[in-house]
Amino acid sequence: MKYLLSAVIVLGLLAGAVWAQESDQPSTAAADTAVSADTVSVAPPAPVGNLRAYDSDNDHGHAVTLEWELSPDDGGGDNSVLMYEVFRWYPYFWDTVQEVRAELVTARQRRVQGTLDVEGDPDDYVKELVSRHTELLSTLPEAHEQYPDDGEFRLVRAVPAGTEKFEDRGPKDRLAEDFLPDYCDFYYRVDAVTIDESVRTPSQIVGPVQSYGQWFNTGRIVVLCFVLVFGLLTILFVQRARSGAELYVRPIAGIEAVDDAIGRATEMGRPILYVLGLGTAADVATIASFTILSRVAKQVAEYQTQLIVPTYDPIVMSVAQEVVKSAYLDAGRPDDYSQDIVYFVTQSQFAYVAAVNGVMLRERPATNVYMGMFHAESLLLAETGAIAGSIQISGTDQMAQLPFFIVACDYTLIGEELYAASAYLGREPVLLGSLKAQDVAKAAVVLFALIGVIVTTAGSSVFQNLFKVTD
Amino acid sequence: MKRSSVIILSVVVLLFLASWLWKASTLSSDPGIVNAWGQAFGITLAAFLTLAILSFLYRDNPFYKFAEHLFVGVSAAFWMVMGFWSTIVGNLVPRLSEGLSSFFKVPFDRFAVNYFYFIPVILGILLLLRLSRDAGWIARWPLAFIVGTTAGLNFIRYLRSDFIEQVSSTFVPLLVGWQGFGHFLDNLDLSATGQLALTVGNWVISLGVFCGLVYFFFSKAHTGVFGAASRVGIWVLMITFGASFGYTVMGRISLLVGRITFLFKDWLGLIS
Amino acid sequence: MTWAPLVSMSNLGVVISLAVIGGGLLWLLYRSLLAKEVDRRVIFLFILVSVAAPLLFPMTFEEQATPVVKAIFDKIESLPEGSRVLISFDFDPAMAPEVQPMANVVTQHCMVKGHKVIFMCLFATGQALLTQSLELIVSEQFPDKVDGIDYVNIGYKAGNEGVLNVIVSDFKKMFPTDVNSVPYDSIGVFKGIRSCKDLDMVFTIGGGKPGVKEWVLFVGDPGRVPVAGGVAAVVAPQMYPYYPKQLFGIMGGIKGAAEYESELRKTYPQFHDVDAPGLRMMGPQTLAHMVIMAFIVLGNVSFIVQKRRDRRRKR
Repeated sequence: MKYLLSAVIVLGLLAGAVWAQESDQPSTAAADTAVSADTVSVAPPAPVGNLRAYDSDNDHGHAVTLEWELSPDDGGGDNSVLMYEVFRWYPYFWDTVQEVRAELVTARQRRVQGTLDVEGDPDDYVKELVSRHTELLSTLPEAHEQYPDDGEFRLVRAVPAGTEKFEDRGPKDRLAEDFLPDYCDFYYRVDAVTIDESVRTPSQIVGPVQSYGQWFNTGRIVVLCFVLVFGLLTILFVQRARSGAELYVRPIAGIEAVDDAIGRATEMGRPILYVLGLGTAADVATIASFTILSRVAKQVAEYQTQLIVPTYDPIVMSVAQEVVKSAYLDAGRPDDYSQDIVYFVTQSQFAYVAAVNGVMLRERPATNVYMGMFHAESLLLAETGAIAGSIQISGTDQMAQLPFFIVACDYTLIGEELYAASAYLGREPVLLGSLKAQDVAKAAVVLFALIGVIVTTAGSSVFQNLFKVTD
Repeated sequence: MKRSSVIILSVVVLLFLASWLWKASTLSSDPGIVNAWGQAFGITLAAFLTLAILSFLYRDNPFYKFAEHLFVGVSAAFWMVMGFWSTIVGNLVPRLSEGLSSFFKVPFDRFAVNYFYFIPVILGILLLLRLSRDAGWIARWPLAFIVGTTAGLNFIRYLRSDFIEQVSSTFVPLLVGWQGFGHFLDNLDLSATGQLALTVGNWVISLGVFCGLVYFFFSKAHTGVFGAASRVGIWVLMITFGASFGYTVMGRISLLVGRITFLFKDWLGLIS
Repeated sequence: MTWAPLVSMSNLGVVISLAVIGGGLLWLLYRSLLAKEVDRRVIFLFILVSVAAPLLFPMTFEEQATPVVKAIFDKIESLPEGSRVLISFDFDPAMAPEVQPMANVVTQHCMVKGHKVIFMCLFATGQALLTQSLELIVSEQFPDKVDGIDYVNIGYKAGNEGVLNVIVSDFKKMFPTDVNSVPYDSIGVFKGIRSCKDLDMVFTIGGGKPGVKEWVLFVGDPGRVPVAGGVAAVVAPQMYPYYPKQLFGIMGGIKGAAEYESELRKTYPQFHDVDAPGLRMMGPQTLAHMVIMAFIVLGNVSFIVQKRRDRRRKR
């Protein structure tokens, strides 16, 4: 009898031990006993191989990447693997943190809505919760060090069969439910799961692995290289220009035409209309236009032709007045300058166009020069000028307006030609230097494109991978 | 005011009233319509303003001027109100002041308060000093901040998306799926995804990029082979501008179709 | 667009309209051969008739989706049910006739596929248009869809690119609630979405700034999120350099919308009886384009004739 009792006690202890172990398994283990007669019985699949876990690269932390080799029964063998379930070891302490977090989130929401009902000052209550939550978070690393005691593996995510990589990523927001703390020892396991979720095979456990942020994003090295190279080139050429070196810029047809057009206007005794566009004084196209205006104003002063400059922006008007005044001074005709040459019209787009059209139809200028930033009014201006019989020279960096200027004007400076014209005329070291640096960059692009096309045609993607920017 | 002007104006006003009445009676018969008179006024006003703007095509006239000025004034006011409520009240006030938040009836979270937001307030006030003759120079500082920050934030993105990614997109194979000349002829296909179209497309992209860049090269005179490449480049550009022009015409016609549809459908009920 | 099937050419009205336009063009040709000027108001009248006539006497054409548009259709079609798609209404009423049909048809496609859709806008005036689309498409055609579970409207946020800069890494920070003040964490659509990187696709409709380009620069490239764009025709040529790597598809102007509607109708016959504004507008669009092409030819004829006359006079 006593042997029987001992046997029962030993069996009971064994059963208890088995039960205690199984409590570490996911709750689906309980489904073992609940499997219906309809369930197809499958053999446990082979586990995933070579499971590795490491901190995700090039991020601000809160992310761990897992990689593994597919189970032999995934797409081969028994082909019974339906999905993989990723488990992470959570200390029980995490539940306490989550409780305080949830309480804090609710308290904050209610405080904002004005419905937080507590004894004492609601703000103090929330502040207390915040400091409690912060304190609990600070002790999380210690809690993770208790592995494998005081915790259990819990499901993070299920991924479909065929997946060999998974990133366990959490937000930076410490109040998020799925926050992943940095500098904590994480342990992972990946289960290969069949159609019967209770039939599964866990992998070996990997860890400890910690997540943390990186200061330097190596995926953007190629961007850094371009920034450094281009920046250095610009500085180099600007220095060369400042030292007086002759930097060649090819002649631009539109600018040469301006000289001829001014001569034509003088012969005909008709004025020249110069429109600076609808940009502000901070826009690059407007700044480039000032340089060209200076050149035009100087020649106009020399030939004693009339110049009309209606402006859209008051600041642009002020700058343009100074430019024209200086040009007249340089030409040795300060007395011919009048403040009425440059005047403000309106800051309303189509009202401005209507006013300038009126000037064109009344004054009948021999030459219209449109240089700067234009929008939908470009064709209205150019067409009216064509009706008035003027020679028209335009330049803008607005891609959408270039077709209209090209169609309606005699000469058009396309995009970068406007900036080049400004550098060509003004000869300012900064403008010239940056133009040359851009030319070198263009040459480099042509070279890269040539090499890239040849290498890609040969069937290799090596060169393309050099330009890959990853985040 | 000339007599003819008075007559024209009277006729227009009478037509407006008649249209409003007629539209209101049409809408009233629809049980699903709430506030038929108000809606009818809105539709009639929109229709008359549309016709007023379109009348410019005949010649400039007071109705066009009225509609244009109304549009400019209303849009300026709308954007000012929108800017205030969405930016100042929406983004700034809840981060700084509980009193102002309750005044403007926006939710205030004291734990999201960030006093750094006073910096843009100060910079914004400095920017307004532009209106002052003597203190206008101060406005250059916040302007410099805006230009500098925008340039800094956008520099990397533009360099990455508009330069590096574009350059690597140019690395296209000049022979797509090449398995010999015989295979090419046997499988000759004129469809958009066929080998011929893809190959020709890649040649066009490569040559277009090379020659377009050559055109915009300013450090060498466009003579000889370089000049020939530059001429090909300008042809590519002109074809692009032609396509852009065509697209723009399509866009403008679409807008006209939209307006005419409104006139025929919503106003006159000629189409369903 | 295929010529053979003029799918519906309703009645005598169409024939008369075409006859009037054709007759007018012949008259213009006559004047061009005589190198006589034509008042521009006559040109405006032609355009008006060529646009108005197909609206009054409907003319529709079959559309064939081009690869750039089909790519968007195939992507939405291939995404599994329940995928998260973001649709951004970045346009104002001035652009609406062109681009709103695109927004509507993509919304229809996403709804019929059972995707979870997040609606937002970066233009203040886009909000009203977004609401319009939701009423017209979601409420009317898909009454079983539940706000918060099948779709969500998070509305407009000021900040242009600044908004995109934030949502590429943290959605909740920029949109703590939807337009009905439901908190982010309570919205079923946002379950598992922390940022744009968790989205399966972004479809942005616009033509201004911020627009498709900003989505590519601030979300698509840095976040490696598949982005497609529906743009006004004016802006479409500027988007092609981004295709196909940075933008996997582009719908350009009303033609793009018409192609997509056609593709949707082929795949889902239940949409045959639903209004298709893109297809409807292609009738007047096509006729107007043909008239403009005729003007270009006639203008060049007049130009050549004038040049010859001038040469003869000089001799």
